[in-house]
Amino acid sequence: MEDYHKPDQQTVQALRNIATRLRINSIKATTAAGSGHPTSCCSVSEIMSVLFFHTMKYRPEDPRNPNSDRFILSKGHAAPVLYAVWAETGYLKENELLNLRKVDSILEGHPVPGLGAACGMAYTGKYFDKASYQVFCLLGDGEMSEGSVWEAMAFASYYQLDNLVAILDINRLGQSDPAPLQHHVEKYQRRCEAFGWQAIIVDGHSVEELCKVLSQPRHQPLAIIAKTIKGKGIPAAEDKMGWHGKPLPKDMADSVIKEMQSRIVSCNKRLYPSPPVEDASPVSLRNIRMPSAPSYKTGEKIATRKAYGMALAKLGRYNDHVVALDGDTKNSTFAELFKNEHPNRFVECYIAEQNMVSVAIGCAVRDRNVVFASTFATFFSRAYDQIRMAAISETNINLCGSHCGVSIGEDGPSQMGLEDLALFRAIPTATVFYPSDGVSTEKAVELAANTKGLCFIRTSRPENNIIYSCNEDFHVGQAKVVYKTNDDQVTVIGAGVTLHEALAAAEQLKKERINIRVIDPFTIKPLDSKTIIDNARATRGRIITVEDHYHEGGIGEAVCAAVVNETGFTVQRLAVSQVPRSGKPAELLRIFGIDRDGITQAVRKMLSGAANAK
Amino acid sequence: MATRRAYGVALAKLGEASKRVVALDGDTKNSTFSETFKKAFPDRYIECFIAEQNMVGVAIGCATRDRTVAFASTFAAFFSRGYDQIRMGAISQSNVNLVGSHCGVSIGEDGPSQMALEDLAIFRAIPTCTVFYPSDAVSTERAVELSANTKGICFIRTSRPDNAVIYSPDEKFEVGIAKVVRQSDSDCVTVIGAGVTLHEALAAADMLASEGKNIRVIDPFTIKPLDAATIMASARATKGQIITVEDHYKEGGLGEAVLSAVGGEPGIVVTRLAVSGVPRSGKSTELLDMFGISAKHIANAVRQTFAN
Repeated sequence: MEDYHKPDQQTVQALRNIATRLRINSIKATTAAGSGHPTSCCSVSEIMSVLFFHTMKYRPEDPRNPNSDRFILSKGHAAPVLYAVWAETGYLKENELLNLRKVDSILEGHPVPGLGAACGMAYTGKYFDKASYQVFCLLGDGEMSEGSVWEAMAFASYYQLDNLVAILDINRLGQSDPAPLQHHVEKYQRRCEAFGWQAIIVDGHSVEELCKVLSQPRHQPLAIIAKTIKGKGIPAAEDKMGWHGKPLPKDMADSVIKEMQSRIVSCNKRLYPSPPVEDASPVSLRNIRMPSAPSYKTGEKIATRKAYGMALAKLGRYNDHVVALDGDTKNSTFAELFKNEHPNRFVECYIAEQNMVSVAIGCAVRDRNVVFASTFATFFSRAYDQIRMAAISETNINLCGSHCGVSIGEDGPSQMGLEDLALFRAIPTATVFYPSDGVSTEKAVELAANTKGLCFIRTSRPENNIIYSCNEDFHVGQAKVVYKTNDDQVTVIGAGVTLHEALAAAEQLKKERINIRVIDPFTIKPLDSKTIIDNARATRGRIITVEDHYHEGGIGEAVCAAVVNETGFTVQRLAVSQVPRSGKPAELLRIFGIDRDGITQAVRKMLSGAANAK
Repeated sequence: MATRRAYGVALAKLGEASKRVVALDGDTKNSTFSETFKKAFPDRYIECFIAEQNMVGVAIGCATRDRTVAFASTFAAFFSRGYDQIRMGAISQSNVNLVGSHCGVSIGEDGPSQMALEDLAIFRAIPTCTVFYPSDAVSTERAVELSANTKGICFIRTSRPDNAVIYSPDEKFEVGIAKVVRQSDSDCVTVIGAGVTLHEALAAADMLASEGKNIRVIDPFTIKPLDAATIMASARATKGQIITVEDHYKEGGLGEAVLSAVGGEPGIVVTRLAVSGVPRSGKSTELLDMFGISAKHIANAVRQTFAN
């Protein structure tokens, strides 16, 4: 502590004044909006003041500078105080604050969450960028109940992220009840220490204590346990239930603000953040290309999950900023192929998928890395809120889910992805790849690396034939017709294992002089409606979709939506109709009618139905 | 009355009828109105705090071996936290009931992080699931009662805004049975809405009636199972024209459910109104308008079917 330079009294007063102004602006903004969380802002005003005007190194006029310290407001509803900080730095005009939560405003109601994302940024800073920037994450005590927070805590200490600081705003009160540990700050301290963090308790309203704790050297991630009062400065609301998410009525706001303004002690010191250390090299993520075309031979057999691993390792060979994460499934998802070749760019996240997705998001922030995170497709259901929020915060991450469908076989339903297409299709910025062979999987990996938004690649466990030549061109939203004649009666659309089943069905039906056209959509979102409609017209509007997925929200519904307004089209959807069981892959495909026999039966039925209709 | 508030009233009423009913919530009880149950039966309410995965897990545990009839609530968007637990609940044949409030852009100012716009997609993809989307207080109460008695996972989607009561208290409701809430002998289009968009559809019906155009309005009540028979019959009576309108993204929700239901029928045209793109903060009514699912947009879509 001898090194610690106490801030002088002028600085302390200036920081206190800023805190008061932050409170005032938070109250003004939420009262003007008629909604928002002023009391949550009041508990963190000193914290924000010290962080932004004493501790953090950044350039307010250049917020996206890669050298700047990072700040994550995990306690998202305190957004008004963050906007107030920007106004205080001059980055935002004060009258803009009055547009909080309004339709034409850029000021969102609840911005990005996550200690996990902070971990991703810190990991990137320490191990990938090897730069000086620090990461600060402000959390509320209500959210400390979330398991995801503790996954992140474990990750941070395991990876010794000493460039990470979590500030816990322990204001005792949640939304509808006090948080479980209330003001027992020593319990928070013991929990944080048990998870391998250094944990220091401070008075969250003491500018001096905050300055001191934030200035000391760190060798582990640091948790600052700030004991605070929700609604501090608002006498009627201080430490009282019933004020969460309630803006102050105008006359109360006016009198509180007046009182706060009177507490501002004039001082000459103007505080301005220190500039960052410039040691994060610029990164260009444009044009992340494969060094060469795929090198599979037609007729070779490979599982798309293995092709993913090979493709990722290949992409990483010539692109330093590709990084991969996995959740203790790397020998199943084949992310281990990337790890073996590029061990310094692989991050093992263990069985903590929510955290893995958050860390991935953190690694991708400010375009520092091209990030791929993998696990079994169905385990992304663990992280669906993080995925949902990734879209809202316009993240570019790539997720690969293996072991889709009943075709995984004996491991049984808990491991089978049967709803993942529905989940990912419902994400606004998502691109959903469902490649059916090794070549198209490699193309999917390359395309995902270069496609904005969230990309999901669905891979399978069983081995299947290579069906594309190595110089086949693939594009997002472009389907391939993989089997056709001039006299096709039905268009069959499959993907992954069911594409191969459809091809087998085509061979079988040929013997019966029934020709079918087979389409591989390649991307389920966006779906190539034009190719589907054009080809279906050639088959008199008859379409059968077949997917290793439940009926809802997958390929079948996507195709129905695409052809909805074509007259004379009928779509028959083959899918898994109920909770499946263990069994051999071929048996399971058959039980659920999505194997070659199921497809041929459906084709015959559709044609006899058409014949009868005549 | 908002359907979220009606949920609270209904749950307390059900709790009166049966000691086995228990309620759980994730520090949102004053928003989901599970607090109404808590006040009446504090010993049967479990506060789970902001830990939704665990809340779902605990609810499933409570419901095991039929020891309780469990209702767990939070904002619909936050069930995305507990989705793996929900998925596994279906695999283990749980009868848990989940209630998600604050669906859609209609919540308004709190912004997209709090808006559920994909919950219909994720719950429809659960095999044993029944998905209720009641549009008024009466049907919400019936949904609660039906959930308690329906096997498998039940999900009830409730809304934040206040809406009119449109059913009489003795209206009968069943899983998989839709209600035709507006019809005439000369309806030109079938409009299917739910929750706030059902009310928007009724408002559109009024607008169009004054122009001499009549539309049939259907309340599906349950999105899964969907009453395909009623929808088809109505479509046939309205020249095959259907418009669906939902406070949800395009994928996996009401629109796609209707499409799958009528997919095999030739001659039916479906126009789907839904939220496209990540939304933002704003007033509830402004957002409905901005994202194309308000009465004005429904009326335009109807007029468009004439133009085509």
